[in-house]
Amino acid sequence: MTSKHFGNIQMRGLNKLGDVIVPGEGSFPRFGQTEFSSEIDRMLDYMYEDDRSGLSLLMTIFAFTPSFLIKWVVLLSEKNAQFPDFIGAPLRMIQLGLKGIILTLYYSNLDDQNQYGEKIMKEINWSTTVAKLDSDQEVPVMRKETSSWTNPSSDAVTQIYDNARSAEKEIYKMTVKQRRNFITSLKKLILDEKEKIVDIIQKDTGKGRSDALFSEIFGVLDHLTFLENEAVNSLKDAKIKTPIALMGKKSKIFYEPLGTVLVVSPWNYPFYQAIVPITISFITGNSTIYKPSEFTPLKGLVEDLLYRAGFQDDWVQIVYGDGKTGSQLIDKRPDKIFFTGSVATGKKIMSQASEMLIPVELELGGKDPFIVFDDADIERAASGALWGALTNTGQSCTSVERIYVQENIYEKFKTKLLEKTKTIKQSVDKDGDSDMGGMTTDSQVGIVKLHIDDAKTKGANLLTGEGWNGKDNLIPPLVLDNISDDMKICTEETFGPILPLYKFVDEEHAINLANDSDFGLSASVWSADNKRALRVTRKLKTGNVSINNVMLTEGNPYLPFGGTKYSGIGRYKGVHGLHSFSNMKSVLIDSNSNKIEANWYPYTKRKYQLFSGMTEGLFGGGIKNFIKFLIYGLKLESYSDKVGKKGRV
Amino acid sequence: MHHRIYDVIIVGAGISGSIIAKELCESGLSVLLVEAGKNFNRTNYPKKEIDANSQLYWGGGIELNTNADIGILRPKVVGGGSVVNQALLDRFDDLALDSWKDKTKINWFSRKELDPWYDKALSELNVEEIPKEHRNGNASIFIKGFEANGFKSAPLKRAQKDCAYDKGSDCIECLSGCIRDSKQSMGITVLPKAFANGLELISEFEVTGIKETSDLVRVFGKDKDEDNRIFRGKKLVLAAGAIGNSKLLLNSNFSNNSIGKNFFTHPQFMSLGIYDEEIHAEKGPFQSMKSDDPNFRIKSFKLENVFGPPVAISMLLPGIASRHLNYMKQITHMACIEVAVRDQNPGQISTDSKGRLKIEKTLDERDQTTFDNGLSAIHDIFNSTGAKEIVDGNFKIGLHLMGGLSMGVNPANSVVNENFKLHGHKNIYAADSSVFPNAPGINPSLTIMALSKKAAQEIKGDVQ
Repeated sequence: MTSKHFGNIQMRGLNKLGDVIVPGEGSFPRFGQTEFSSEIDRMLDYMYEDDRSGLSLLMTIFAFTPSFLIKWVVLLSEKNAQFPDFIGAPLRMIQLGLKGIILTLYYSNLDDQNQYGEKIMKEINWSTTVAKLDSDQEVPVMRKETSSWTNPSSDAVTQIYDNARSAEKEIYKMTVKQRRNFITSLKKLILDEKEKIVDIIQKDTGKGRSDALFSEIFGVLDHLTFLENEAVNSLKDAKIKTPIALMGKKSKIFYEPLGTVLVVSPWNYPFYQAIVPITISFITGNSTIYKPSEFTPLKGLVEDLLYRAGFQDDWVQIVYGDGKTGSQLIDKRPDKIFFTGSVATGKKIMSQASEMLIPVELELGGKDPFIVFDDADIERAASGALWGALTNTGQSCTSVERIYVQENIYEKFKTKLLEKTKTIKQSVDKDGDSDMGGMTTDSQVGIVKLHIDDAKTKGANLLTGEGWNGKDNLIPPLVLDNISDDMKICTEETFGPILPLYKFVDEEHAINLANDSDFGLSASVWSADNKRALRVTRKLKTGNVSINNVMLTEGNPYLPFGGTKYSGIGRYKGVHGLHSFSNMKSVLIDSNSNKIEANWYPYTKRKYQLFSGMTEGLFGGGIKNFIKFLIYGLKLESYSDKVGKKGRV
Repeated sequence: MHHRIYDVIIVGAGISGSIIAKELCESGLSVLLVEAGKNFNRTNYPKKEIDANSQLYWGGGIELNTNADIGILRPKVVGGGSVVNQALLDRFDDLALDSWKDKTKINWFSRKELDPWYDKALSELNVEEIPKEHRNGNASIFIKGFEANGFKSAPLKRAQKDCAYDKGSDCIECLSGCIRDSKQSMGITVLPKAFANGLELISEFEVTGIKETSDLVRVFGKDKDEDNRIFRGKKLVLAAGAIGNSKLLLNSNFSNNSIGKNFFTHPQFMSLGIYDEEIHAEKGPFQSMKSDDPNFRIKSFKLENVFGPPVAISMLLPGIASRHLNYMKQITHMACIEVAVRDQNPGQISTDSKGRLKIEKTLDERDQTTFDNGLSAIHDIFNSTGAKEIVDGNFKIGLHLMGGLSMGVNPANSVVNENFKLHGHKNIYAADSSVFPNAPGINPSLTIMALSKKAAQEIKGDVQ
């Protein structure tokens, strides 16, 4: 007896009710005897929520009510016609509900489960049939179900770009302030519906509830607040200094839209990686085409939120599909590609884009070092390592994947880390009361297994998680040591909950180890000596460093984010990020005078002499040269104007 | 977001939606048909009553009016009513059409104007009269009783083909979809033609809102995985029936005060006569006769010889335990006649703050008198044919769900104009039973088909 909707108590109530209505008489079986109650979900699944919960409540009550009282209730409900409507109506509902569920189960000929269904039909002498069709007549075509979740046709891709190009014009017309209003409505909506959004994120990713709230929802709201506060200021026309040689003119930068930006996002933070780039692209005035990962499409969520926040359809278009769709979208030549994901895909995208010289910004993987000096607080550093390696089940581009510990505290640190690892609670929870969720894709589970097997074969010690079967998505924390640099786990991105421990001797050794990687996304340095920490920070070849903390540069939406080496190209977020989605248009403004400029034609010997003297004066330095500059400058100007108007003499 | 902008989106794949889809597809328009119910065919209709009720109707089988005395059966399946109905096809008579003309001030409500559309509708499917030799015991009681009381009856016309009665087919099985594709439901008549001409269908997609901007209509909803989806079209056809259309417009904050009003159901009431001999009302074509009595028509009711499968009949019977089982033992000894009231007192469909339905529908004194007259005619029939006991059903049912978007020329008291457009909206149409201005007292299917044919022509004209 299992039901998605009824527990054991409600089932008991249901069977008691059934025995009251159909107590078994003559050859009719008793309701409870038929065990038809186990089929109750065939009704409950399709009922309105209100009706279902009403029935559930009644069944709960019946479970604790003596049968004679249940009988009395049913018989009373039969007499509904004798009561005025305000009592009669609820009685009729009860009558219909109670008799409805029992009699439906009893007379539906549920003989798949047992013989009672047939038996009851026999008791009432019921037998109906329909003559089968003689031939194997074809079933009429009733299948051309359309789906927007799969790769769009090439016509649809063309349509998407047509839409995007016309949306560009609408968005361009709006001021940044006007665009900001939509950001504000979106933020409010996300705040109001955060729990619902977390549900959807969890459904697609299988991550822990707290991970979804802390990283995705909080991160998005933080970012949107940044846009609210800073976008208008960062994107207004910037006044730029004009050198004295260009006296009388003004210089400016206009931050203008690029046009249409293609955003392609990964599956690890599907909500954050949707909203953040989409809103940056939008507020800078671009029309956006967004392709989520086919593994975590969050079907319908983003467009629903955007629409309700007031975005017009084509300002941001969500396109569902896999890599093929991504490639088709690139072929239509967006004005920029913003990609977050793996190194392999990043290379493919850049290669395809290079044919059309489409600017690409790539936020790729990492193999982030975590460097602990012997003066660091071990308790704090171990906790930091644990979170940095395990948050989002290790599926972050900035996850800690190499833990370097100074040799004199190595054992102590290891003991602390192992101790803390044991306290990790793992499940795909519904209430936030769990540390770690599961892995999102099976292929990533495979990579983790590959790295672990490879490391073990080559002599690494696996200190925790021996019980993992190599398949389950709920991969436990995996602490390893005795790692050598011929192991995949040392050089390749694992993207899973691993904590590999390494020893280092001194500062220089730590820097060399940390920099000896194809990746350079972020790093963290742990030390009580601030000067040392800063010294090390400057020497790390990486895009981001947190000192005495981990993965925290992403925590500040004012800081730009991006990597070096295989970790990517370009920076986004912060003011820099806004500018990187803009066409920085340099503008120089002169007045509509009748003057002819000194550097224009005609070039004459005299002009050459004057220009030469002016150049010496301008760049020579000192007061004497400045006077020379002024004199030559004035002469040059008046000569140039004259010769420019009258021509070569 | 679906990136395509359809020429027309149709909400509801019932009789009206299917016919309009077929017409528009055939004229080369791009059409998206969305339907909350599932897309079954003869190989996978849910055959157990428990599953049929749950999966072919809204609310898991039945919805109730606020007074809980009318059980509303609202189909939720691709094909809509044509999958679960008894496929009775009758043209409206002058009495019905004159009252519509009178109420709506629309002049083309006449047989002369509508007959060509009825003809076009009938050309889509096969209609048969049940052959005399296959009439079952229930029909015999019906005919005998009518004769004994001087009432006039007539054989039914039914949309069916090759039912193979001589091979023992029992039509009652087809109430949850016909497994030999004899019943002329939309899935075997017009929809295949629509698919052949490019129709796109999404089943199990429940539309929750619509929004109209200057030149586009957006349709919001949730698919079977609870994922939100939005579709865009140049035109929208509401074909979700009286309740579906009203609910959708109300929940989408459409402002016309008449939305949801003028709701009629032809309240039906089944009465059972129990006989010593076996009747076997469940056998063969279980419904083959109807009343054809001018007096009944004037008195606003009609009688049909009907029956239902075991769960349905058990629900009509009073009592529990031995009293109940004693009745059920005699189920094959029962004859069954139903009175359908041409209801005058309009009900109202509304939604609460959470968007949930509220259906107010009561019989006023006139309707109650009609009902009493019908019931007493049934009793006369049973009594005159030797019934040993008469059991009146436990509750009424409503399955001709009409109105809510009633037609008329005056926007102050109607929702849809004579061109099938919502007053004040240039891109939204309706032509299903929701546009009925009152209860005609005649089965609505054929008229829904005719109106839909006519509406499709209007839409084609507007698009081109």
